[in-house]
Amino acid sequence: MRTGDYKQTYGELVALVDSPPVWLWSAVLVLALIAAPHVLNSYALSLLTVILITATGALGLNILTGYTGLISLGHVGFLVTGAYAYAVLVAKYQMHPLIGLLGAGVVPAAASLVVGAPSLRLKGLYLAITTLAFSFIINTAILEMRWLTNGARGISVQRPQMFGVSFDGDAAFTYLCLAIATLTLFATLNIRRSRVGRAFVAIRDNDTAARVMGINLHAYKLLAFVTSAFITGIAGALYGLYLSFVSVEGFPFLLSIEALAILIVGGLGSALGAVLGTILIGLLPEATRIILGLFSAQMDALFTTGAQELKSMLYGLVIILFLRFQPRGLVGAWHDIRRTWVHWPLRY
Amino acid sequence: MQYLLQLLISGLAIGAIYGLIAMGFAVIYKSTGLVNFAQGEMTMITAYVAWTISTTVSGNVFVVAIGAILAAVVLGLVIERVVMRPMLGEPVFATVMVTIGLAVILRSAINFIWDAYPHGLDVGMGRGIAHLGGIGVRTGQIAVIVTLLLLLAAIWAFFRYSKIGVAMRAVAADDRTALLMGISAKKVHALAWAASSVISGIGGVFFALSYDLSPAMFQLGLKAFPATILGGLDAVLGSGLGGLLIGITENLAGGYIGSGTKEVAGFAMIIVVLMVRPFGIFGERDIERV
Repeated sequence: MRTGDYKQTYGELVALVDSPPVWLWSAVLVLALIAAPHVLNSYALSLLTVILITATGALGLNILTGYTGLISLGHVGFLVTGAYAYAVLVAKYQMHPLIGLLGAGVVPAAASLVVGAPSLRLKGLYLAITTLAFSFIINTAILEMRWLTNGARGISVQRPQMFGVSFDGDAAFTYLCLAIATLTLFATLNIRRSRVGRAFVAIRDNDTAARVMGINLHAYKLLAFVTSAFITGIAGALYGLYLSFVSVEGFPFLLSIEALAILIVGGLGSALGAVLGTILIGLLPEATRIILGLFSAQMDALFTTGAQELKSMLYGLVIILFLRFQPRGLVGAWHDIRRTWVHWPLRY
Repeated sequence: MQYLLQLLISGLAIGAIYGLIAMGFAVIYKSTGLVNFAQGEMTMITAYVAWTISTTVSGNVFVVAIGAILAAVVLGLVIERVVMRPMLGEPVFATVMVTIGLAVILRSAINFIWDAYPHGLDVGMGRGIAHLGGIGVRTGQIAVIVTLLLLLAAIWAFFRYSKIGVAMRAVAADDRTALLMGISAKKVHALAWAASSVISGIGGVFFALSYDLSPAMFQLGLKAFPATILGGLDAVLGSGLGGLLIGITENLAGGYIGSGTKEVAGFAMIIVVLMVRPFGIFGERDIERV
């Protein structure tokens, strides 16, 4: 019988996964995802692409809100900055797409230094409000800088061609998103188990204590902002490519809420949670449509007329219900199930 | 000069509406310690109910006013009882996120129940134009400024002299001690939500009267945010005055710099305020003990 979760060396504590079968299952999942574009129809494939892009963005926000505990209500600002950085560099100045992707990370990261600066003095709600203000200011700035961004008309972007491979087709583009999402997942998991990640979590848990332990609050808070904005910006560029058109309307404020909902539903402060939350929130509208459709055609009709409203109502409802009944999110539920399974018939 | 005065007066009028909604924020913050992100949506529902009453029941000012106030009270009480009370004792982050979820639900519910077209609220007055020293002002705009000032005085007196007002301040200052003194925190919270809903609802109805009802009205809540930050989240009177300041700033920026800046003048201002004096002009400083 397993009597505990023994970790005897420091290496075991910071290992990427704590049991070897996880590697096997992850490999199976990756293979399934690689096979997916050849099996799925184009609608399911576009859903998968959106989920992969959203997961990248959610992992970005997770570094800031999940690990470091700094709430951001304005992450859509970084998303839209990244999308515009890519569009301007590649579509307007004909740069290499790889430079475009890099720029989509670097420009929001630079912008995040401006937003991050107030965070050195502010906490909690006040910071949330500052980031909210930032996302509105960014939108206005983009609309006003017509010489660079075409203002309200937006910029249309082509899917890139890199290293002799064209990412124009849906399957190829899904592979690009899959590669970036996987890289991001590994990057955030590795950040979490490094010295930097431990500093982030220490700041989240108690910033005064963290400071007393010698963690440079200013440097690490700014680092969290920069890393988070970099990843989110790249997700924004991918989303712009997915829409093949970058405009302010393509990135509504609701996306910020959706990102927070994903983290809450998945379980705050866990990369696995961000991924699980993305899957749940991404499939929620579809699942509801199918379930309602089972009951009657009338409900199905309701869904087509008021799809946008019902979708946002569902987000709201899911946020409230999870906070009320499962504050630790899907990851918490998974841990409970796993513990019950391992220790059965004992309770713990 | 004429142009400046015109900007100032219309700034005061929209600022008074921001002020009313900002007071709604502050009343809830002061007694429960929460920022209610659904304030704009609650404002909007009250305004839509007022419009429905004016078109279906009667366009009489008093009928509409009483109906709207009752609706606002019921809305505040229901939200407090159904959504917020189960979250009592949970971390602030979770509770604030619940209000964000609530905001999203209410906003879509409004689009679902009422249509997406703009409507004008017509109660037979408030749209006429009065002339003050050569400047045309809508009577509705004068009325909202007067209402704000009257409410400011009434709320000041309420918190200063009435037993319930003192109880609310006590709960805000230290809810455990207040409980030990025999104050029911639940009732105080319910009262705060109802009062906040009414105060911001009045702002919403005046907005519908002077401008138009539309699904984009929830942005009033976001616009009133800077006002309450400027005045201090825990300062009800300060928030009301902060609204006037934000309204004037917005209009001056829109009139002299460019129409795009009008939308973000308030936000740019709060970033500065938060950097310099995070607790607002009239708010109390948080002192953190280790």
